[in-house]
Amino acid sequence: MPKWAMVIDLDKCTGCDACAVACKMENNVPIADPAEAQSGRAMFWMDMMTTTEGAFPNTVTKRVPKPCFHCDDPPCTLVCPVGATYRNPEGLVAQIYHRCIGCRYCMAACPFTAKVYNWYDPKWIDGAEVGNPDVSRRMVGVVEKCSFCSHRLMSVKETAHREDRPIMDGEYVPACAESCPAEAIVFGDIENEESRVYRLSRSYRVMRYGEDLGVKPKVYYLSRRTET
Amino acid sequence: MPKLRPTTRKLVLLGTIGGIILIAGYFKVFLHSDLRQPIQYNHKIHIESAGMTCVDCHESVLVSASATIPRLEICTSCHSGEPISDSPEEPKLLKFVADGNEIPWQRVYSVPDHVYFSHQRHVTDGRIECATCHGNIPDFTQPVTSTFMPVMMESCMDCHRLNGVTNDCLACHR
Repeated sequence: MPKWAMVIDLDKCTGCDACAVACKMENNVPIADPAEAQSGRAMFWMDMMTTTEGAFPNTVTKRVPKPCFHCDDPPCTLVCPVGATYRNPEGLVAQIYHRCIGCRYCMAACPFTAKVYNWYDPKWIDGAEVGNPDVSRRMVGVVEKCSFCSHRLMSVKETAHREDRPIMDGEYVPACAESCPAEAIVFGDIENEESRVYRLSRSYRVMRYGEDLGVKPKVYYLSRRTET
Repeated sequence: MPKLRPTTRKLVLLGTIGGIILIAGYFKVFLHSDLRQPIQYNHKIHIESAGMTCVDCHESVLVSASATIPRLEICTSCHSGEPISDSPEEPKLLKFVADGNEIPWQRVYSVPDHVYFSHQRHVTDGRIECATCHGNIPDFTQPVTSTFMPVMMESCMDCHRLNGVTNDCLACHR
């Protein structure tokens, strides 16, 4: 059984936001109107964490792309009263929207604020109503989050099964990894010792957020800087 | 039970009956299906007499997620110009053909958009007979207006369990 994981190389990342845009388009993530976004209700599955340090003009801006970390020991699944979020055998932390009752316990439990809530029915800009038919539209009152583009896994699995072979490294990639112009995002099976993700996750540059929490995130960051 | 005047009692009775009818109507207790197909299509004749198979009309069933409801073009490959049977339904079809309008077939089986269902995966890969879910269509002399197997998660999960297929939510939900 593969275990899907992601490596984000911050030394390569230019903070261009292509991953965040690709993710929004791929997963039909609603675009909040400016007033809602101001009140902290902007919805991102791939969120660009931005911090600015120093005083003008000597400022340093740091940008770190943050998807759901698909923890191996996820705290969000423990608190869900209805089993709408769970960790599947392949290590994906799933969110089943039609089971979700919108209590937002999981959002409170997630140390990385990876989950977002649908405060109102999504409004689509003209021409974007159709969206990606491979991903369902979420309705008001449910929590959603990055799925590692699990709908892509469905079709990859089908093809591999039909051709009677295992899934090859790099065959299943989420939209963010696919769109990254700097190729900073690498995705694959971390239990396959020949995969790029396996190799990169053993780099001396590797770090994970929330290492002290014991939740075992499956998104690894690479950076030469000691603190990110 | 407090003592009511006869008129009030009648009103209460009428109200109760009306309420039951409304609720039953809402849940379609008495109605099996309110679907009506534009042509009283006879599957049996097409399969037995014309020697056709499911794939001849539902052409994508083996190669894509959707089995597809036949296009008018598929009908016109046999039915064009003169009627080839004495069925009273054929003139209706020929009218659609003459006007060049697609037949407004009513869709009977559909899954909600948060469910991924692929015919190819079930029929080509899983080798499941059409009849398992759709019933013995070759015996249908009337068009399909209701589902043979209810399109519900229980039906899917029961079959998956019996055949040792994964019941992981993410295998079907998206």
